[in-house]
Amino acid sequence: MSVMIGIEVHCQLNTASKLFCNSSSDHRGKMPNECTCPICLGFPGSKPVVNKRAIELGMMIALALKCKIAEKMFFSRKTYFYPDMSKNYQITQYEAPLAERGLFTLGENKIRIRRVHIEEDPARLIHVGGDITSAKYVLIDYNRSGIPLAEIVTEPDFTAPKEVRAFLEKMVNVLEHLGAYDSGKEATLRVDANISTDGGERVEVKNITGFENVEKALNYEIIRQSSMKRSGNVVVRETRHFDADTNTTKSLRKKEYEEDYGYIFDPDLPSVTISRAWLESVASSMPELPDQRIERFVRQYSIDEYTAMVIVYSDKRLADFFEECCARYNKPPTVSNWIVNYLLKSLNWRSERISQSKARPETFVELLQLIDEGKITDRFAKELIKEYVDTGISPRTLAQKEIVALSEKDLDEIIVKVLQANANAVEEYRNGKKESLQFLIGKVLSETRKQGNPKKIKDLIVKLMPR
Amino acid sequence: MVSLIQSLVKLHLERLAAEDVKLDDFAPRVMEKARAIQQKYSPFITLDENLGSTNRNAQKLPFSVKDNICTNGLRTTAGSRILENYIPPFDATCVRQVKSAGGFVIGKTAMDEFGFGTFSTNCAYGAPKNPIDIQRVCGGSSGGAACVTAAADFPHIAIAQSTGGSITAPAAFTGTVGLTPTYGRVSRWGLIDYANSMDKIGVIGRCTYDAAFGFSLIAGHDPLDATSLNAPKLDYTKVLEKDIRHLRIGVPSEYFNADGVDPQVKKLVWDKITSLERFGATYEEISLPSTKYATAAYYLIALSEASTNLAKFCGLRYGIQGETEGNYENYFSSIRERGFGEEAKRRIVLGTYARMSGYRDAYYIKALKVRAKIIGEFRKAFDRVGAIATPSMPIFAPRFDEVAGLTPVQQYAMDIMTTAPNLAGLPTVSVPAGESGGLPAGVQFIGDYENEGTLLQLAAACEV
Ligand SMILES: [Zn+2]
Repeated sequence: MSVMIGIEVHCQLNTASKLFCNSSSDHRGKMPNECTCPICLGFPGSKPVVNKRAIELGMMIALALKCKIAEKMFFSRKTYFYPDMSKNYQITQYEAPLAERGLFTLGENKIRIRRVHIEEDPARLIHVGGDITSAKYVLIDYNRSGIPLAEIVTEPDFTAPKEVRAFLEKMVNVLEHLGAYDSGKEATLRVDANISTDGGERVEVKNITGFENVEKALNYEIIRQSSMKRSGNVVVRETRHFDADTNTTKSLRKKEYEEDYGYIFDPDLPSVTISRAWLESVASSMPELPDQRIERFVRQYSIDEYTAMVIVYSDKRLADFFEECCARYNKPPTVSNWIVNYLLKSLNWRSERISQSKARPETFVELLQLIDEGKITDRFAKELIKEYVDTGISPRTLAQKEIVALSEKDLDEIIVKVLQANANAVEEYRNGKKESLQFLIGKVLSETRKQGNPKKIKDLIVKLMPR
Repeated sequence: MVSLIQSLVKLHLERLAAEDVKLDDFAPRVMEKARAIQQKYSPFITLDENLGSTNRNAQKLPFSVKDNICTNGLRTTAGSRILENYIPPFDATCVRQVKSAGGFVIGKTAMDEFGFGTFSTNCAYGAPKNPIDIQRVCGGSSGGAACVTAAADFPHIAIAQSTGGSITAPAAFTGTVGLTPTYGRVSRWGLIDYANSMDKIGVIGRCTYDAAFGFSLIAGHDPLDATSLNAPKLDYTKVLEKDIRHLRIGVPSEYFNADGVDPQVKKLVWDKITSLERFGATYEEISLPSTKYATAAYYLIALSEASTNLAKFCGLRYGIQGETEGNYENYFSSIRERGFGEEAKRRIVLGTYARMSGYRDAYYIKALKVRAKIIGEFRKAFDRVGAIATPSMPIFAPRFDEVAGLTPVQQYAMDIMTTAPNLAGLPTVSVPAGESGGLPAGVQFIGDYENEGTLLQLAAACEV
């Protein structure tokens, strides 16, 4: 079966204030409707004034996606009646968007970017006592109303849901490197996906949050559309809603065609001219992009390309973390090895991103220093990292506790006990089988929960071995 | 040019300077007179009855404000039932400027609902009556503003507003002076939008001095309005002192020869133009051939914009409230059905149609092209002339029963003199050109961008 998927990504831009007013666009810890003013509430008589920073972030995104940036762009009004819009029109871009015709490389594939434009986010609707179709009533939080969004529209160049997910992950990484998007700000990334199977009608699944959900929604649609065809039904052009509880999509309304929004140029906002000088100054202030960063990591830190890719692509903040560790502990390959093989595992176990984690570069490097100092074993460090990521307590403190607890006398007793319990191995070692000594060291370490210096343990075993 | 009309505002300002005005009872006495005017002509939707409780020493000069301009704490309905209980939490920039200069707002003046009318007869709260003859309309949509200006026997300036001629029409019908500034010269912050690309706040005064004084207070750049011009503040009463020698006036034949222009209006306006020769001005006939498309283009653009502006009045955040039944669409419809008047509904439907798929290119986009062409013609004309003179309105103020007999299209056609300059965003002034049978006719001068000064000089010359 052939599948064609195109997506629209709506990304909240990381600006201090909203797109057309001075209300804060960061509403962490704020009451609902606290970050509002007459403009983002659409009061009669209020007027929008565009936030230049939002346009600059949009320009950076367009440059990163290799788009052609307009010399002059306009804002338009998209009119439709919906309770999440205070004005019942959304200020967006239609005829003359910020940028068009770009390209994004995704492994072997090239995904064509149709356009990038800037628009305002509507308010957030909270469906109380049910979902969009069954809620008893709806609450509206205008804190979100007017936050700048960049809408990135692709051509229908994806052939499988997992490609879409890979694209989104890489795209977010780019956006975070640009500083255009901050996942730590509870900023959201919403996706509308258009999918058609075997050249059938295009179905739009709207407002999906989370990459995993995008993949699930698309997989569900493929199954739904193919089973409809198998049973002799026709897939109709429509808009559907993804229900994250059941992992299914539900029909919302028959597709409203774009043109029916009755777009007009927004007469409150003069056209924005993007001069060559402005574009050049934005281009020269562009932060490093992920691919450039990977190259630099290989060059500057002498780590292999694969490791650099894992660090940079998994999370911009993780790459920042790596660099901060290297600044404190000058063995980058060791740092990268511990991050990729052990830190990431602990984070994944907790389903955390580094930005949410209690791990800090200054404490993380203690773990590596303790190994170098011979105070803990590699193996013990691998145990310790879990507790460290769970609690955020510095490894030096954590190790101290364990080291003090295990006195010389305790260790002697453990070794004697192990030797008694494994008389066969002792016998074999005496008969010249060296591997048996390793076996005994392992047994001791498992008793000590992997603490104690292996060299010292080895010496003690030899010393305490019955003659 | 020294006007022969005595300005009550100027006299009052001189007395204020000489501390010859008893401020502690000035505002209450003005309000008493305003109530008497209201009894006779109904120019107000809301009178500010709380004035007495505020600081009277700051209440130096009375202003009225058109009801689509927000006044903090004072009901603002835009002439519509759907906003009958709307009390804005902020002042429009022009109101703030007036207040900080010692002005005080006596009340909010009647208008066609949202500015939708040429006669101030599409009024949710009653139509203002023309003080010259109460059987006749005041003109619209700033009818209440012109009415109170014409009737006031106290110093007063009206803050009015025009989208397609809403200052010129009532000024002409009531024998007052109406200044419509260049688009962007006065901040629109706080103006309840009709058609944002054409909406302009201006002034109506008893004479040119009053208009110039009021305009000087409210003109200037405002960071709250992205379309606000970055032009300096000026004292336009000083500009009035200059004469109009060597000023070349263009007289466009398309305006004088249009269908339905009353011959008596034409004569009065021509006489006024030729009378300016004694001050050294000259005139010449010019041609503005795209004028015939202006009214159609104006309505298409204005109504497209209006239909989006009015979308917010649906009973959710803004507009009257009602019982919720059915889904949100049913609810919004029931509120809009109840809250909007007939003309508002007509214009919403027309404007929505003009921007819908399949019609958008033929109507909305085409109208934008016509607008660009009209602007081009005016620009070329201003290479040759310093101002353009036309009748303000094609007719004298009609009686209410005459207006009631007009179809909507006939009503829209009355805007032929004003739609083109308003489409182009050019400043205009309407000043009395004389009367016939007791009814005034107005002459309209159209100026180049930001050239209100020349228009005010011409208006002052007409008062000599
Ligand atoms: Zn705001």
